[in-house]
Amino acid sequence: MRQLLTPSGDLVGEAPFGLDLCVRLYRAMVVARSYDRKCVALQKQGRLATYAPFEGQEAAQIGSAAALEPDDWMVATYRDAAAMWAQGYPMELLVAGRTGDERGGSPPDHVNVLPPSITVGGHMVHAVGLAWAERLQGSSRIAITYFGDGATSEGDFHEALNFAGVYGVGCVFFCQNNGWAISMPRSAQTASETIAQKAIAYGMPGVQVDGNDLFAVYEVTRQAVERARAGEGPTLIEAVTYRLGPHTTSDDPGRYRDAGEVEEWRRRDPLERVRIFLSERGRWDPEWQAEVEEKAAREVERAVELAESLPPPAPGDVFGGMFESPPRHLREQQATLELYRAAGEG
Amino acid sequence: MSTEMRADPGLYDYALRPPRLPDPPKPENDHLPIDIEVRVGMYEMQQLIRQTEKRAHDLFLQNLVKGTTHLSLGMEAIATGFARAMRPDDYTFATYRGHAHTIARGADIKKVLAELLGRETGLLKGKGGSMHLTDVEHGMMGSYAIIGAHLCIANGAAWSSQMRGTGQVTVCFFGDGTTNIGAFHEAVNFAALWKLPVVFVCENNLYMEYTPIDLVTPVEHPAADRASAYGLEAVLIDGNDADEVYVTAEEAISRARRGEGPTLVEAVTYRQGGHSRADPGKYRPSEELQAWLDKDPIKLYHQRLLRLGVPESRLTEIAQDVARRVDEATEFAKASPRPGPEHLLTDVWADGGSEWRN
Repeated sequence: MRQLLTPSGDLVGEAPFGLDLCVRLYRAMVVARSYDRKCVALQKQGRLATYAPFEGQEAAQIGSAAALEPDDWMVATYRDAAAMWAQGYPMELLVAGRTGDERGGSPPDHVNVLPPSITVGGHMVHAVGLAWAERLQGSSRIAITYFGDGATSEGDFHEALNFAGVYGVGCVFFCQNNGWAISMPRSAQTASETIAQKAIAYGMPGVQVDGNDLFAVYEVTRQAVERARAGEGPTLIEAVTYRLGPHTTSDDPGRYRDAGEVEEWRRRDPLERVRIFLSERGRWDPEWQAEVEEKAAREVERAVELAESLPPPAPGDVFGGMFESPPRHLREQQATLELYRAAGEG
Repeated sequence: MSTEMRADPGLYDYALRPPRLPDPPKPENDHLPIDIEVRVGMYEMQQLIRQTEKRAHDLFLQNLVKGTTHLSLGMEAIATGFARAMRPDDYTFATYRGHAHTIARGADIKKVLAELLGRETGLLKGKGGSMHLTDVEHGMMGSYAIIGAHLCIANGAAWSSQMRGTGQVTVCFFGDGTTNIGAFHEAVNFAALWKLPVVFVCENNLYMEYTPIDLVTPVEHPAADRASAYGLEAVLIDGNDADEVYVTAEEAISRARRGEGPTLVEAVTYRQGGHSRADPGKYRPSEELQAWLDKDPIKLYHQRLLRLGVPESRLTEIAQDVARRVDEATEFAKASPRPGPEHLLTDVWADGGSEWRN
């Protein structure tokens, strides 16, 4: 397993970036954690629908997204808000989506991030399609797709990786193996020793990385992205991490996993090791941390305010955001709705 | 930056593709520890499959077989070797290319041909046809037309045996194209994890319909190279050598029976004909086809038995006896009545009819 920064903050290899970028990425992880905790709180207050927290996976998401170009494609899941935000998806739309507002699924045109996929595994095929389309058009854009350990047992995983492998499609498959697929432990998910080794089946390189190590995640993703951009084909990355929270706000992990296991992973916190690293280099102190956290909280608050101040959607909006040119049956339903509303108002 | 695709579109021009030639036959397999009578039995079975299928093809050309047929000509050694290693109560799951597996499990060829001809005396009373041959009595649990789907069903049968503790093993056959289907992935993963008593056998005949498998698969061996993804050993064998198939089958089946879980076997072979009766198979280089015809499993097995001291006259007798049985079966099928309209709604539900649902 690739590792550059140990849980105690020791560098075991060469840092893949300078201190300035390290500081930026640390701040981003703080924002991500702040966002995640805020969303859990909002859900408890009844202001968000079900929410899938990613606490513990910040390095995997922020580190990998940092290795992309701003216009690269990202196709991710309901647990990848940090990566999506880092790739330019407006935070207020991420929040809006979780309030059940369909407008949350329509990012601005210049943002090459698809709305989060709820269907486990299905979106990986879309990422391959996007990367392939870019290749056919002679563009250097690549795609990255995020998924969990559970998704690797889906048929779509197999079909997506096979297709990408045989056509040399520029797609990076980023698996966050967080140990649990809802209540199913990794050991009960597949008999293969690692998820990374599944790459062999598709003729592509597979790499296992400490997913709580910002440095190593960035470095292996950068290499995979470079390969993809150079037309050398896809890579499967297995980032070994842990979901510290429940599967979603509707789940009680205490019913299926040991509190000791959670504590053990808490000691491998992805933020903590970067904090120590920065501190030892004179770039961190408690006042600065407080300032970073306060700024993060303000950014998240602003996003929540924007999301909650969106005017309520009109009933007819339900027809939007799906088709470039809606099929006849939807146009008919839309016309019926308009007639009905006109009659009701008249 | 290179924008070239790895799969060169030129490769789709079949004329430009290099032929995929077979590995040479293995005379050393003469020394595999297999009883000579078992071998003679496997010779007879391969003859029976070959001659029955050739007859099926003739009947098709006479417009007596409705629908389509997918023949296993050239692939008989796989069905034969596996079926020989199975216990009578073991289960077989096959694809629509399932005549060979049905016959190898001991189905009466009279009923097989009658089924192909759509007669009431057929295995499925003439209502299933070539693509759905099933003979539960002999453990042949069906021929499935949806690529890949039957691997999951085979898992179900294996799981049932595991739960009932019967020691039965399920053997599931499929083609090379299936290995790129999601259901393959889900089934093998599940079976490996739950240590199901199932043997997955990929009959890699190098073509999925008209597409060479290597054009759509990023690894050389579509099944064997995938085994590691499921924590399984790679098993790659010569599918045109019944003895090699038989010893592989014995090992895999015993492993499964001992509760040690599934095996994924890739048996490399070649279909001598087209994909279905509608396909003359012209997309294959003639040099390739000829090389594989030279590696015909029955011809090679015949030579092996001669080397092992079986008199030529005995083999000739076997072939002639099989020919007579195929003739009889043909007459039986032709003379059998077609199912009447009263059979239209029966044999769908376990309770016999559909009346109570109406």
